[in-house]
Amino acid sequence: MTNIIDLSIREKVYKKKKTQLSILNNFKLEVKAGEKIAIVGESGVGKSSLLNIIGLLDTDYSGEYTLFGSLTDNLHASELAQWRNQKVGFVLQESALIDSLTIEENIKLPLFYAGTEKNFFEPEYFENVINAIEIKSILKKKPLECSGGEKSRAVFARGIIMKPQIILSDEPTASLDVENRERIINLLFKMNEEFKTTIITVTHDLEVANRHDKVVHLERSK
Amino acid sequence: MKLFEFFITKIFLRKVIFSIAMILLFFMANYTIFTATRLILSTFQGYQEVKSMNQEGTYIANLNPDSNIDMDAIAENGTQKVYDYLNNNFKYAFYTDGFIASLPNNDDMEISFSYMNEEYYKLNQFELSQGTDLNFDYQFNKDKEIPVLVGKGLSKTYPMGSTIKIELPVLEQSMTLKVQGVLKQNAYHSNFHALNSKNYYNFSVFLPVNQEFITHANIDLQLNGLMDIIILQTTKEKVTNLSEIMQDNLGLKFNFFSQKENFDYFNEYYLHSLKIMSIITLILVVIIICHSVWNALVSIRLMLKDFTINLLVGLSYSKLRKILYSYFGILFSINLIVIFFITAYSRYGSWLRKDAAFVTYGLFGLIGMDWFALLVVFLFDIIFGMIIVEIMLRKIKKIPISLGVLQ
Repeated sequence: MTNIIDLSIREKVYKKKKTQLSILNNFKLEVKAGEKIAIVGESGVGKSSLLNIIGLLDTDYSGEYTLFGSLTDNLHASELAQWRNQKVGFVLQESALIDSLTIEENIKLPLFYAGTEKNFFEPEYFENVINAIEIKSILKKKPLECSGGEKSRAVFARGIIMKPQIILSDEPTASLDVENRERIINLLFKMNEEFKTTIITVTHDLEVANRHDKVVHLERSK
Repeated sequence: MKLFEFFITKIFLRKVIFSIAMILLFFMANYTIFTATRLILSTFQGYQEVKSMNQEGTYIANLNPDSNIDMDAIAENGTQKVYDYLNNNFKYAFYTDGFIASLPNNDDMEISFSYMNEEYYKLNQFELSQGTDLNFDYQFNKDKEIPVLVGKGLSKTYPMGSTIKIELPVLEQSMTLKVQGVLKQNAYHSNFHALNSKNYYNFSVFLPVNQEFITHANIDLQLNGLMDIIILQTTKEKVTNLSEIMQDNLGLKFNFFSQKENFDYFNEYYLHSLKIMSIITLILVVIIICHSVWNALVSIRLMLKDFTINLLVGLSYSKLRKILYSYFGILFSINLIVIFFITAYSRYGSWLRKDAAFVTYGLFGLIGMDWFALLVVFLFDIIFGMIIVEIMLRKIKKIPISLGVLQ
């Protein structure tokens, strides 16, 4: 099976005020379609930065990145935005919702960028998602009116609404209780089973990490 | 458009305090620039007007500030003696205005009469929209018509060729005036002692004055005419003698300033105050720009999560740039429209107050100077908008739009 992600980073320099930090030195990652990868490592080693690069948010590094067979350097910024919209889904922590929008508007936000003419919206799929994650009752509520677990599930729903080929999740269970943590992890894996979606999860939780096909340990660059 | 509407209603206007602060800051910057531009332009116009009179050998009378005018002490034959001396020894430009007369007209304006001799008329080269230039060699006779020019506003009631029968207060007798020409709209005269202020002639009558007219006029016209009289092609020595004659006959001390002295006066007072004003405007605008940038950066910080989420789900930087330019374009347009209405209302106010000296004609009530100042504001807004948007985008890109922002 060919790789859908072929990433080779020589160096990523992280600048913060007057200091600069070199991370992900000589880092390589190959991911096949449908794989579940966990990324672990101590704080500051570059786990989120790696996710930014894989998710086409950060192009400021030295190295090469081939995604779905295309060298990302050759993609225009608008194409990167389109890929983020249609091919990559982000599952983040509960805070990643726009407070001025309702839960439904938040979930449907990627559809807004996809454009209605392309008819990405599948009412049946949408119904299935909100039923599966039990958020029907909060669709008209604003994030501030919801519990942490409800918000996490809403963020999850937004991440999968476009049926992405890759889901990038960054500490999706960090602030959740055991019940909600299990629910989110199960939903992620269900996406993998049903749609062969590739899952890449950044986590501190080794128990969660070990349930993935492969665990990548990031270490501090020397 | 849908995306822009989304950002306006769901993102920007949710931080309404920053939008209002931004509008107010932009308004302050725009209005400061608008006012300063008009003031500079108006002063420049006044300067150009004075410059045409300020030639080598030309001296403009100026009453010494220490002189006290006691009208009772000035006899009519005193002023006439001064004019006799002027007629025998000098070439001079005579002008006086502000003589209000009740002359019925369609707009119910009080009409101002301006009196000038041929030399003054030649110096100013007034532009006409209709008719022919004033002629000054008419015979002064109450049975004869005096040719006059009227302003555009007055020409609606008194068009070309019409006659006006009126008792002229300066002659204290009834005269017949014949409209020989119509002044171009918004013809003006700057105040030589405050170059940025001007009177408009839209509701004025220009009356040609010759020696005979002055002889028949009352002391008000004769004395007022001397206040700003311009002596042409003469020498310092000769005007010093004239000053003495005026002091002897009127009891008033007049100064006559040469071209160099007038330029020095301009440089000392006007140029200096214009420089100060420009510097203050610049400082104010820079302070406002800094505040606006700070306000924009604070709002970016508050909206960063919203921007990040939108970037995650498909917003591109180029779209964000377009949204920000459109948003600031709207804010600037609101300000321009507000300034436009304030100016139009101010111009219209002169019509409401029947303030004939300030009544002007123009598209939506605005005259060329207003449009030019609006254009300057518009150009400033383009530059200002580019600075703000690019700084905001730079800031957004500098704080890595990353998942970390959301945690």
